[in-house]
Amino acid sequence: MKFVTYAENTTQLEELSILVETKRIAVSELEVIVGTTAISRFSENTVAGLEEMIALNQKFKLPLVLEWDVLQQESLFQKNAELVSRLPLHEFKAIRLQDPGALNLVKEKFPWLKIQLILENGNHNYTGLTRWSDFLGLQLDRLVLSNELSREHLSKYAAELKTDLEVLVFGRILLFYSPRMLLSPIRKVEVQKNIQDLNIEAYGTSEESPHAGFPLIENRHGTFMFNVKDLYLLDHLEELRSLNIGAVRFDLRFDDSFGHLENCIDLFEKRIKPEDILEIKAEHPRPVIKGFYNINKTDVLFTKLKNKRIQRQDDNYIGEIVDVERDQQMALLIKSKHLSLKSGDQLQLVTPEGKTKTLGLNIFSDTSGVGKECATTNEVVLLPFMSGVVAKTQVYLIHKDLQ
Amino acid sequence: MNWTPELLSPAGSLEKLKVAVLYGADAVYLGGQKFGLRQASDNFTAQELREGVEFAHEHGSLVYVVLNSFLHDKDLEELPEFLALLSELKVDAVIVSDLGVITEIQKHSNLVIHLSTQASCLNVESAKLWKKMGVTRIVLGREVTIKEAKKIKEETGLEIEMFVHGSMCMAFSGNCVISNYTQGRDSNRGGCAHSCRFEYSIDMQNNEEAKKAYFMSSKDLEGIRMLTEFIEAGINSLKVEGRNKSHYYAATVSKVYSEALAYFKAHGNFLSDDLIRWEEELRKISHRDYTTGSLDEYADESSIYNQRESDDNKYVVTGVILEVKENEHILLEVRSAFVPGDSLEIMPFSGPTLTHIASTIKTIANISVPKSKPGSVVKVPYIAGAERFNIIRRKLAEAQI
Repeated sequence: MKFVTYAENTTQLEELSILVETKRIAVSELEVIVGTTAISRFSENTVAGLEEMIALNQKFKLPLVLEWDVLQQESLFQKNAELVSRLPLHEFKAIRLQDPGALNLVKEKFPWLKIQLILENGNHNYTGLTRWSDFLGLQLDRLVLSNELSREHLSKYAAELKTDLEVLVFGRILLFYSPRMLLSPIRKVEVQKNIQDLNIEAYGTSEESPHAGFPLIENRHGTFMFNVKDLYLLDHLEELRSLNIGAVRFDLRFDDSFGHLENCIDLFEKRIKPEDILEIKAEHPRPVIKGFYNINKTDVLFTKLKNKRIQRQDDNYIGEIVDVERDQQMALLIKSKHLSLKSGDQLQLVTPEGKTKTLGLNIFSDTSGVGKECATTNEVVLLPFMSGVVAKTQVYLIHKDLQ
Repeated sequence: MNWTPELLSPAGSLEKLKVAVLYGADAVYLGGQKFGLRQASDNFTAQELREGVEFAHEHGSLVYVVLNSFLHDKDLEELPEFLALLSELKVDAVIVSDLGVITEIQKHSNLVIHLSTQASCLNVESAKLWKKMGVTRIVLGREVTIKEAKKIKEETGLEIEMFVHGSMCMAFSGNCVISNYTQGRDSNRGGCAHSCRFEYSIDMQNNEEAKKAYFMSSKDLEGIRMLTEFIEAGINSLKVEGRNKSHYYAATVSKVYSEALAYFKAHGNFLSDDLIRWEEELRKISHRDYTTGSLDEYADESSIYNQRESDDNKYVVTGVILEVKENEHILLEVRSAFVPGDSLEIMPFSGPTLTHIASTIKTIANISVPKSKPGSVVKVPYIAGAERFNIIRRKLAEAQI
């Protein structure tokens, strides 16, 4: 299993190299993600700064991975494609991509360059992951999986996919990515004038739900919002290793978390246990969670979002009660295209509360009060009043052979 | 006759499908009970889907079915049965965002595949990749300009669909999981809680006082003034957002945009006096402030709504016509109360509205009532020109707004 983290500048790269030199971690176990502002969502590194890191790395020989994870419309994408083509791509072990456009471009233009494909948005099924993997073939270095996958799914994918897999184990959880600048309009006008080129960092607290302290960043790529709690799976490193997950990522870019690097490496190398580094949790500026690692039940509430009883259910469906005049009449809108209503029919009525009633139909009329023997689709007919029946009650024909 | 794009309207239910088609939609998109992004919407049962497809095809409209959730493994297991139904019903395409779903569709059917906006396809290279995966049409991300869309179409040969009207995600579509973590509802499987419409207190941490703002709420898209650009760019389909919205909304947007496109088809321009009327009609439906989003230039600060959701419309939907008994009465499903003497506006399927004073209101049992009750069905005197599924609305008095 590889230890993946970010280096923003030469200082951080040097710190990582010292940890390799002092054998805190083997170079073969380490991967360092680097980027530059134009193509990385959160990097503040200039192209010159990136080139400086690459030059310095001639000495360190750390495995560097170039990050191109912004999503960009055509005009901006073209500029980035040009920038990427000018970078010394041979110096990177791989390139990390999220936009399918960047993926296609690298696949076509740089078939020798290994790809780490970021599939953090969706891609929650084996079929899709396999297809991505097959599409990239030998050029694929790794799939970076979604934070929403549970242990059960990670286990299955690691066992069945031939591709190396990566998951985030410590860091911010990105909730929202917009290309629009949403924070600068909130700033005071006089401040706005001076900060045009700077990133804005803020915290948002919902006034309509109990969630406080969403970290917010506005930069040249737009606005990002993170969860109020950060992901912390440091108790599960051994489990992930046993599941055969190929790489775990420690995102130490925010909140001065880079200071946790040595502890994280010692934990990764099993020199210390999770209970030995409780200060990481204690010192962290936000609470931490395991996210969906244990289970993902984000679809269980869907059944409560609508009343299934007011949906038509089967082939005997005839229509819907659209109004009830107490002690007088009920109006039935015939919705079925294939069944007609006839005098003598037996009807089953299912109310929105789920109560079932039966009605033998001897007499009914049109809305002008004229008696009818038969009614078909789109007609509204008046039936005798029946206690307990309300609007939106669904009406079904009871087949004579079932009576 | 001049070429115009397809008008693609939302159909949140069977009735809304009929309304959209009758008011001029060339195509509708809808969802089954699963696999779409609107779990709270009525959506279609198998029988309703069958009837809806028949109705649309009989009226010359196409039907696209959304399968654009980011499906998990267990969801995929249930997909083949639904695909068999869609194939049997001869739906015209499915709208998909997940590569696993695309793969399953290709394995189990010959359905035509459109890439959902949920996949956030934003550039030529991305469209090329999805073409390799077998999609024939791309619903571009709402962040793409018409100029860029033209280039994507020219360089890929794919059909291009763009949103022309309706609510907009502030995030890149598919790139927002706020509901997942704060409400326990998967926004990308239909459980979006619209957290972007909430008010937030923003602490800038620079000695400024925290400010309250609806900073993530986007204005609504309105592209009526951009139709020439859409047509010149050869955009194949213009999509209206809003499966969760009302019959009235489905009727109005379908009618307005179809009339506008029909005008262009006949005249080759939009130099119509009706342009003002069309815009006025779009202001009579429930909406946030309008913006052209990124259709012309990338959306900027002016596209942020930054206010509480409110409904201060001057017009209210009175009801939907269920039945017309010629020279006798009209049966109206009441959506909002009205009283005898109120001036009602009937929206015919084409042409200007018909105004009518309802002299009496009677229940289904023929009893006169002083006021109609929302949710009930009432009779009002016959109005020449009114048809089943016409929408009736009423202008509110100033004091009622």
